[in-house]
Amino acid sequence: MAESLIFYSLAALVLLSALAVVTMRNTVHSALFLGLSLAGLAGIFAELSADFLFAAQILVYVGGIAVLFIFVVMLLGRASDLHLRQINAQWPAALLVCAVAAAGLWRAARSFIAPAATRAPAPTTERLGRLLMGGYAVPFELVSLLLTAALLGAVFFSRLEKNP
Amino acid sequence: MLEHVYLIALIPLAASLVILFGFKENPRSRAPYLGIAAMLWCFLQSCAVFHRVAASALPLSYEANMEWFRLPVQIAGKAFALPLQLGVLIDGPAALMLCVVTLVSLMVQIYSLGYMHGDPRLRRYYAFLSFFTASMLGLVVSSDLLVTFMCWELVGVSSYLLIGFWFEKPGPAYASKKAFITTKLGDCGLYVALLLLFTKTGTFQISALRESVAHGYLAGAAATAVALGMLLGCIGKSAQWPLFIWLPDAMEGPTPVSALIHAATMVAAGIYLVARTYFIYLASPVALETAAWIGLITAFLAATMAIVAYDIKRVLAFSTISQLGFMMCALGAGGYAAGLFHLTTHAFFKSLLFLGAGSVIHAVHTNDMRRMGGLSKKMPITFVTMVLATLAIAGVPPFAGYFSKELILKAVYQHSPAMFFLLAAAALLTAFYMTRLIMLTFLGAPREEELHQHAHESPASMTGPMMLLASLAVVSGMALAHAGFIERLLPLSAAAPAEELAAREFPEWLGAGVSVLGALSIVLGFLLYRGPAFETAKALKRRFSGLFELLENRYGFDAFFLRLVEAADALSRFCFWFDSQVVDRVFVDGWGLLTLIWAEAAQLVDSRLIDRTVDGFGLLSLDLGGGLRALVRDGQVQEYLMYVAIVVSLFAALLLMR
Amino acid sequence: MTLSSCLLLSGALFLIGIFGALTRRNVIGILMGIELMFNAANLNLAAFNHFLHPGGVAGQCLALFIIAIAAAEVVVGLALVLAINRNADTVYVEEFNLLKG
Repeated sequence: MAESLIFYSLAALVLLSALAVVTMRNTVHSALFLGLSLAGLAGIFAELSADFLFAAQILVYVGGIAVLFIFVVMLLGRASDLHLRQINAQWPAALLVCAVAAAGLWRAARSFIAPAATRAPAPTTERLGRLLMGGYAVPFELVSLLLTAALLGAVFFSRLEKNP
Repeated sequence: MLEHVYLIALIPLAASLVILFGFKENPRSRAPYLGIAAMLWCFLQSCAVFHRVAASALPLSYEANMEWFRLPVQIAGKAFALPLQLGVLIDGPAALMLCVVTLVSLMVQIYSLGYMHGDPRLRRYYAFLSFFTASMLGLVVSSDLLVTFMCWELVGVSSYLLIGFWFEKPGPAYASKKAFITTKLGDCGLYVALLLLFTKTGTFQISALRESVAHGYLAGAAATAVALGMLLGCIGKSAQWPLFIWLPDAMEGPTPVSALIHAATMVAAGIYLVARTYFIYLASPVALETAAWIGLITAFLAATMAIVAYDIKRVLAFSTISQLGFMMCALGAGGYAAGLFHLTTHAFFKSLLFLGAGSVIHAVHTNDMRRMGGLSKKMPITFVTMVLATLAIAGVPPFAGYFSKELILKAVYQHSPAMFFLLAAAALLTAFYMTRLIMLTFLGAPREEELHQHAHESPASMTGPMMLLASLAVVSGMALAHAGFIERLLPLSAAAPAEELAAREFPEWLGAGVSVLGALSIVLGFLLYRGPAFETAKALKRRFSGLFELLENRYGFDAFFLRLVEAADALSRFCFWFDSQVVDRVFVDGWGLLTLIWAEAAQLVDSRLIDRTVDGFGLLSLDLGGGLRALVRDGQVQEYLMYVAIVVSLFAALLLMR
Repeated sequence: MTLSSCLLLSGALFLIGIFGALTRRNVIGILMGIELMFNAANLNLAAFNHFLHPGGVAGQCLALFIIAIAAAEVVVGLALVLAINRNADTVYVEEFNLLKG
């Protein structure tokens, strides 16, 4: 019962802040709500007994990505932005698309009638570590390569030219 | 030596091919010498073969075969592969024929050196001669009736080529066609007979066939049908009644070719085939009787026709037909050895007669005996040899014809006295018309001075062969008949299992009587055609003009066949008319028109309906694309994304809602 | 809390992300929408792992990879935004029409 209460409140938090992300006129607010939404999702991860994922979500998304967004928004933001429309003209069409997709997804989601998990939650960090160093070693290494490439790419793109 | 006897047939073939492809056409071509050399070799080989066969105590029969191909057949639902053989079968008749054919061919080729001197197509001539001889030799040695049939047809083709050698003249062209078509008419019978034979016995091999007949696999109606079919082929080839009409016309070819045709290669083939398959005839008394009667009719009719002919070669042609009739009659009457013996002796004196006639024609450049006369002083060698040949053919003892004709008459008498008398009459006629020929050509006074002035004796290349053949015409009968040699060489038991023929005593006085009558008919001819204008004969002709006319028209056989051809022509013209006017116009053209109309309609539908529809689809998609493009603002990433989202969401919804 | 409620939450989050990506004029807003979609996918993975395969961690592992890749994507994306902004002096996608045909 308590679990459900926590889940639904967290779900409400996630959805509301996500809506705020896409509707706020001020981009700074959007970025802040993004952090909130991601944090709420981290809570749901915790409830799904994914403790390492919870930690990673907090660390990477809330602590890294959301903050990065805020940095960039602040770097590029202008005062005039606050008076401009942030939603473009095709929003009714987008809404329609979402409605159509929602109908399909509704059907799909309702079709899963899985028993509630009965197993007691257990820490997953060790198993994840073994998996990443064992069976998923190659993808793991590839991801590290990707991250290095992304790092270099980011430095390359954001570097200020000396003489424009 | 016998192992390589097939070379006797193959060497002339090779020679002919070499001459045809290896030499240039040239009146002074060296090609003749190659042909003569090949034939000389063949002649020597043949003599050696003949010696082997003649020297053996029993009649030697040598056979060697090689499998040619297998013929898949189905008998009662089971598949068999019947082997067809390619091989040689040498026995008495074959050895004798080999000698005759090669000798006559050799003589003719040597003779042609003089006769055809300066002809622009000398190479071609000699190639054909060699080919002709090769075909005949193949026919002689073959152990298999299928190969025999092939050679038989090759003989027909080469005779066509040689009779029509001077094809630029209308006469030879017509004559070669006539010969070819007439003999083909007979070949149809032979062909059907061969088919029937194969279905009955499953083999073409002569020795195997002999076994089959001996075991009674081929008897009764089947044997009669086969024998009659073959007889039809032989009638065509050997110019028997009623298919003899081609032979007188075949005179249009060069005279040496006529000698070859009449003596060795063409007409002998029919008689030889009858002899080769004699065991089949023995199994069918009806066929034998038919052969005898056909031979008899031919012998008599041809002899009468020869009496009135004025063309020297034509007289000889009728004479050949008549003599072939003698042979056929002898074979039909059971005189196996007699028929073949006469074939041999006849080959010698008939080739000689033709070569002599060629010599005369060479000298006076005409065939018409009415324009000759008194040539004996101008052409002594020709005259003497011709007289010898005449004596031989007339059956005067001791010349060659006497012995063989005596044997024939004896055999026929033993078969049926009635036939004997008719045949004896034909023999007397033979003596008469041959005397007439000599009288008209060589004796008496020259009737045309100019021709007589220019006449001269032929060169040695022509008289040489004639003299050789003349000596053979004199002695061959005596030599072969000496101490029953010919009957040992050609025993009936080799052709068929021993069969007792009804022996009727042949009275000696009959033979003597025929000889005396023959001498008398010679004298009669001498008397009738004596003097420069042969008044007696002319008077007789006026007296019996109706009979003469009948004979000169050859009893209307030519007209009959001509009428037949005309009828066939009319029929085919009608068929052509029907085909071109009715079938072509109505059915073929009508069908074409229908197709055209249908195609027009289809084209209309296609262009108006289908093409427009296709174009419409193209235009529609073009318009649609243009319209859609107008809707889209270029370069807007989010719009693109929007379309992607629309499509993906639609598909997702469709898939998930299903 | 059931699997379908989790899936519904994830679907809703995904649709919000799509909506954001489709409608925000600001490039940074679009990137945020994309982040929301990533998270919806992560939630799916974690939920399936939890409910359908309770003993395993493969789904979480995959989610971790996605987090890493998302981080990389955001870093590169924001760097691009910075670069574009420096050249075009705007962050609004309507004005990014360099590729217009």
